[in-house]
Amino acid sequence: MTAAGIHESPPAPAPASPAFAVAGARLVWLYLVSRRVPAAAGLLAALGGVLWAALHWHWNIAGGAAAQLVIPLVIETGAAGVVAVSSHGPFGEAERATGRWLPWLRLGTAVALTAAAFGALAAGGTGGYLPGGSLSLLRNLGGMTGTGLLSAAVLGGAFGWVGPMGYLVLIEGGLAGGWSTPWLWPGRPPGDLGGALCASAVFAAGVIALTLLGSQGARRPPASE
Amino acid sequence: MTATSAPARPVPALRAHVMPPLSFARLLGIEVRRSPMPLILPLVAALFWFDSYRPSTSQAPFYPLVTFWNMGQGHTIIDFGPFVAGMAAWIGSRDGRRGTADLVTATACPRWVAQLAAWAAAAIWAVAAYLVFVGVMFAVYAQRGVQGEPPWWWVAVGATAVAAFSAGGFTVGVLVPNRFAAPLAAFAGFLVLIMSSQTGFRDTSGWALVLPTNSNGNFQLDSGIFYPYLPDLPIARIVFLAGLAIAALGLAGLPAAAGERRVRIVAAIVAAAGVAVAGTGAGLASSAKLGPHGMVISALHDAASDRPIVYTPVCGGSAFRVCLNPAYRIYLADVIAALTPVAGEVAGLPGAPVRAVQAGAAYTAGEGGSGQAMTITGRPAVLSVTLGGYGFLPGPTGFSSQPTTMTTFYQSMWALFFNAFTGAGSTVGTPVQQAVTAVLLAGAGVPFGQQPGLLAQVANGPSPGPSTAKDPVYTAARRFAALAASARQAWLTEHLAAIRADRLTLEQLP
Repeated sequence: MTAAGIHESPPAPAPASPAFAVAGARLVWLYLVSRRVPAAAGLLAALGGVLWAALHWHWNIAGGAAAQLVIPLVIETGAAGVVAVSSHGPFGEAERATGRWLPWLRLGTAVALTAAAFGALAAGGTGGYLPGGSLSLLRNLGGMTGTGLLSAAVLGGAFGWVGPMGYLVLIEGGLAGGWSTPWLWPGRPPGDLGGALCASAVFAAGVIALTLLGSQGARRPPASE
Repeated sequence: MTATSAPARPVPALRAHVMPPLSFARLLGIEVRRSPMPLILPLVAALFWFDSYRPSTSQAPFYPLVTFWNMGQGHTIIDFGPFVAGMAAWIGSRDGRRGTADLVTATACPRWVAQLAAWAAAAIWAVAAYLVFVGVMFAVYAQRGVQGEPPWWWVAVGATAVAAFSAGGFTVGVLVPNRFAAPLAAFAGFLVLIMSSQTGFRDTSGWALVLPTNSNGNFQLDSGIFYPYLPDLPIARIVFLAGLAIAALGLAGLPAAAGERRVRIVAAIVAAAGVAVAGTGAGLASSAKLGPHGMVISALHDAASDRPIVYTPVCGGSAFRVCLNPAYRIYLADVIAALTPVAGEVAGLPGAPVRAVQAGAAYTAGEGGSGQAMTITGRPAVLSVTLGGYGFLPGPTGFSSQPTTMTTFYQSMWALFFNAFTGAGSTVGTPVQQAVTAVLLAGAGVPFGQQPGLLAQVANGPSPGPSTAKDPVYTAARRFAALAASARQAWLTEHLAAIRADRLTLEQLP
């Protein structure tokens, strides 16, 4: 029998079949492992622990209200860096040729890891007084993760940490200089609309850039881990 | 004879000794060319401009002031350290990430030695960039006419700190060879620096002085203008940071993949030596004592550093002559304008100064204050003025969101002048001294109601609140001020010695 003798296409498998679900779950799991998401989750939990310790044992910086923000911000920066670096793809262009689910996997992973980071840091925030509370934490973490995802899209996932770290230095200098622009959202009050909009815009830009473009490393030939 | 039976050609003795350094140098050259460290430098340059240089432009043009933030509080290190550590971690994790560790372990060069070449290349790039950026910043300062001498020893501390961060980050990369090594190293670097600042803001003595972002007691006032920067504490910091770098590099040679057992033993010895060196640096810093010109570490101190910087003063003023260090030339007219009226107000009274000279500000354990006490000594009396305190030189100041107005400058000078004249000096003074100072300040044009705030500001203390000019001191002052000027002058002539010696009470004030 040759292919020329076949007159009908084989019936398409039912989309909801158990085999399809297992394959989908396996695809997701393999993607998460390739991005070292389990290790990232462990690191985020550890950062939550560091925040808890910092608040519990009062690692405050001497100075005014802005100075009190610094240590939580440093920890949020670390979490944002971990989320951003998780976007690094080790397979390069070969991975892009394998299917159309990759952007959705990138989107889902970035959002899920950001949520996990928020959960871990919110839990860590119970260790003591967290300046600005959980709302401020969500805004700051979201915005800084956005800077990380943007830098991952531009510089490569392995260098996604550069964005949040650079932004942290900007915040530190800006707050010390008394700047109040909403683009330095950590310096704004927790309920401030301008700061929330700016942070949300940066997060959205980061997620969209990563979803559509991937990290720069993934657009190259197969690269190192 | 076949090739298999031919004896191996002996390696000449000279070549055997020269080749390892040459091969290391060649490897280093390759690593320098291929190091990714330069990729991070444009970002660091931008942050350096924003965080280190930009705030300094709002300071009065003196090196201790313009470099207080970026060198004294170590912001140049904050701008470099975490990024260099992150990038060095990325470099250090290279073999582990690429799965080539087994491949490169089989080469003739011990893995640890090859890794040291990779680290050295990264450190060369980072330290060279630090020196270039700081050099450009100082060149801009020089072009702006910033007065005094640059704090070169603090530049050396910064360069050593950058090398130490690169070593620490590199070792993190070697020990944790995965994608998270770089963000972890950068995060840890930033957290360490922030915690160092936190400790530095609080601790003014002891081991904490060795922290590179601690500005307490070591970087302030008139260093490089009246007296040299004391190198004692920077040397201790360099020793400490170099020790940390050596220890970190030794740690990188401990894993089994680093080389044979002999290599790892050497690495362990290096790590232990590094810890010992760092401990020595911390020990030296903890022995520091506050001297008049900075922190003195007796084991490191060179008496030549105590010699004041020789200068020819610039003088002005006719009714009241004022002489300043030429570095402060731009403030000569302001100081004359501030002191001439108050000197005229007390002219003729016992101990009234006939001229003023500038003195170098004395170091304090903290980061300096708003103003240091003036003193009046000699016959004829000479007023000694320090201008090197922070916060009240007229014009923009990086320590406040508002520039210091001429009114604030004048009134601060008047308060310090009258405190010196009544004998209060750097203290709050006795009640009678306070009351007489209040009357003299009122005579200069500062209403009683504004005086508590002014005095608190000069002493760098908290605001006293709105209604504190109603206590017994001000009641007595108002009573005394109600006298005729000639009667006040006569009473002061008779009683000034007693006022300065604290032999009068408020009730005895007419």
